[in-house]
Amino acid sequence: MTDLLLSQVKSVGESLIGTDEYVVNMGPQHPATHGVLRLVVKLDGETVKETIPVLGYLHRSIEKISENRTFPQCITYTDRVDYVSAMSVNLAFALATERLMGIEAPARAQWLRMIFVELQRLASHLLWMGAFAGDIGALTPFLYGLRERERILDLFEMTCGQRLTYNYIRIGGVMIDVLPEFMPKCRAFLDYFEPKIDEYEGLLTYNPIFLQRTKGVGVISPEVGINSGICGPSLRGSGVSCDVRKQQPYLYYDQVKFNECIESAGDCWSRYKVRMNEMRESVSIIRQCMDRLEPGPIEAKMPPVIKAPVGSEIYSRIESSRGEMGVHLVGDGTAKPWKVKYRCASFSNLYLLDELTRGWKVADIMAVLGSLDMIVPEVDR
Amino acid sequence: MTNEELKSKIEADFKDLIQSVVVTAQKEVVVVVAADKYLSLCKQLRDKNGYELNHLSSLTAVDYPKDNKMTVVSHLWSYKNCFQLTVKVDVDRANPHIPTLFSIWGSANWFEREVYDLYGVIFDGHPNLRRIMMPDDYQKFPLRKDFADDGFIVKPS
Amino acid sequence: MLTGENIVQLVSGLLHWAYAQAGISSWAGIIDPIIAAVVMFGFISVFVMFLVWMERKVSAHMQSRIGPNRVGPFGLLQTVADAIKLTTKEDVKPVNRDKIPYFLAPIVAFVATFMGMVVIPFDKGMVVQDLNVGILYIIAITGFTVIAILAAGWSSNNKYALLGGFRSAAQIISYEVPLVLSVVPIIMITGTLSLSGIVEYQKTAGYWFIFPQIFAFLIFITSATAEANRAPFDIPEAESELIGGFHTEYSGVKFAMFFLGEYIAVVVSSAVAVTLFLGGWLPVAFLGFLHLPGFVWFLAKLLLIIYLIMAFRWTFPRLRVDQLMDFGWKVLIPISILNILITAIVWLCLYGKGAQ
Repeated sequence: MTDLLLSQVKSVGESLIGTDEYVVNMGPQHPATHGVLRLVVKLDGETVKETIPVLGYLHRSIEKISENRTFPQCITYTDRVDYVSAMSVNLAFALATERLMGIEAPARAQWLRMIFVELQRLASHLLWMGAFAGDIGALTPFLYGLRERERILDLFEMTCGQRLTYNYIRIGGVMIDVLPEFMPKCRAFLDYFEPKIDEYEGLLTYNPIFLQRTKGVGVISPEVGINSGICGPSLRGSGVSCDVRKQQPYLYYDQVKFNECIESAGDCWSRYKVRMNEMRESVSIIRQCMDRLEPGPIEAKMPPVIKAPVGSEIYSRIESSRGEMGVHLVGDGTAKPWKVKYRCASFSNLYLLDELTRGWKVADIMAVLGSLDMIVPEVDR
Repeated sequence: MTNEELKSKIEADFKDLIQSVVVTAQKEVVVVVAADKYLSLCKQLRDKNGYELNHLSSLTAVDYPKDNKMTVVSHLWSYKNCFQLTVKVDVDRANPHIPTLFSIWGSANWFEREVYDLYGVIFDGHPNLRRIMMPDDYQKFPLRKDFADDGFIVKPS
Repeated sequence: MLTGENIVQLVSGLLHWAYAQAGISSWAGIIDPIIAAVVMFGFISVFVMFLVWMERKVSAHMQSRIGPNRVGPFGLLQTVADAIKLTTKEDVKPVNRDKIPYFLAPIVAFVATFMGMVVIPFDKGMVVQDLNVGILYIIAITGFTVIAILAAGWSSNNKYALLGGFRSAAQIISYEVPLVLSVVPIIMITGTLSLSGIVEYQKTAGYWFIFPQIFAFLIFITSATAEANRAPFDIPEAESELIGGFHTEYSGVKFAMFFLGEYIAVVVSSAVAVTLFLGGWLPVAFLGFLHLPGFVWFLAKLLLIIYLIMAFRWTFPRLRVDQLMDFGWKVLIPISILNILITAIVWLCLYGKGAQ
């Protein structure tokens, strides 16, 4: 009854006043921390009709440049593909090249790689938590997340001298062995950090306003998710088991015990919960790796010039912080790759933004975008 | 199943659709298919029992100017059966047309837009084949091997 | 003994002696209120500067930072530096603006909230003008800010500012109703609209109104936060995600006036809350032996409520616009109406008809 009345009033109103589509540009310069992404949003009052992402503002032609660099030189470019999660991309390329050439890194290097990639996952999730909460309006967790991330970056700086673009995981192993004070400092950090995850969850997870903003918003059903190519924590929030570490184990992930974090609701809150749980799992993995670390060489014996065999091709996937990261390498017998392609999680995750926000309010665009954990350098490369 | 088992399974199931299937030295199973059988093969790969390759992990193209062809490479993964498969189809360099995989895997939408943008391969039936990274009026295809960049010429206004 | 009354009597005695010397005693009725208003203006200006510093320090310590600590001792002069910066900034104005509303909007926003401070009693007799319709006056005055915001949004000639202005106006209008309704039980109980009268009632009754009227207090604080456009109701302000809000096209002093107007709105609302619910200038019962003057107690309670409102901003996420309206209309108003009903019923049962 009221619906009929409402629709009648609305049609009368529209015939008298006249309505038009309202195009708003969430421009490349964003106060939020996602980077240079441009969203052209078509609004009907407060409701979103369509969201069109315009990409390419951070396109640095990394793939084309890599065709003119030798394999070890390409590793420096991988840091820039996803600068929030640089160790993972380093690892992706190094693993791809090793598989291309049939090399295997020694055990100590593999354990060290695992420690650093999981620490990187923690750092990336902490930054994501801050940015997501900041988009929703809670400005304080951003500073808490960055404070913890500083400690992880200190650990990285102690090892390879860099805080953002590490170039640490090399083809055949890692760049340099860790200092003796690394292990105690890392353990101290993990002991300090583990209760903090509960503290930050206490601030956000069951907060009524946070729940109102994220529960039921941006629901991805499993079928839609798999069909659209979403991967990583965003898909695990919809109940699909898709962790590359479990399904196609690389390094020594099949030798450590960890749970795959899955939630079934598929909304922003589930994706948030998946990432918070993943932080706990990462802490457990790092502890196990540190216990299994044995002294040994950190780099495999490799030819002086790394040349891929003629006609070789590989597609190698790892689980980076944002989801599945794949590297497609084609070799042609020379020291430079014939083709490099980075399959990045953010590129696939961003594709669903339009579908998820149609019919919702403007503020939900930020909630959904934040929950998908999208990083623009990965999208554009 | 091992790579050899997978290879024989594919040979048995899709004999008439594929051109060849090999297990490469890098331990991957690669299927080469002709352009006219491409769509039907992919549909069967997604739907057939025992395959259920429901995840299109990556779709890209490789340029081979010496052989005068470009190869569109799709990497498929099955969440259910946990195996990976690579599907390759050759495309003529001068007239690169190939059907779109969008009707089978929705993730092909942006992957194919990127391949169009950077290589110039035209996907027939694609709902929205526009450039995705380069500006809309850019004329060249950057990732081709014969790409000579003369820079952006900005006309003085 | 030093009380607010004594101070007021001392000062007015001095002033009247000064008038007598200058021979303008007949003008005392006009000059006294002007001087009182000027003193209030001066006090509030300094107080707001202190509040801006306090907000930055409170937010910093909540976020494991330090906050301003360079300009002056403990960074206390930071607001002075910011004020100087804002006054010396270039006044950027959009070309196609509507000139008169654009000019008047910040002034109205600033002056309207300021006018609310006129009836707030800092101590017995320490009030600029003790109107016997005090609460009604304050509620009426806070309605002026809506006009100012709409004028700002419209005159900026910017569709984003207009949208922000509309949203802010809708929010303020929606939260006026629970604000007023939460105050009604107190007016019913005390039988007076005068703020000083309400504090006197709390003194004679022996209890502060927060205890029987806890829900009214919570609703009042929530609505007051929404009235001042502060988080978690800061959709118009922190709309920098998408739209700049109604003060996008303002810079320099005009922006400072909006900004200060928001802080003064917080002060006024908190002062009203302290007067109505926390006993105004009355001392805390078991600390009465300290013999502190009433205005010290008032300022202490005021700072407590203001700290609470500041803590809200840095703890909670933001509500979406439709959730905000839902909350105001569907949750706060029914509870406040229920509160009125229950207060009336309990009062009748306890004291019968016509009791005071």
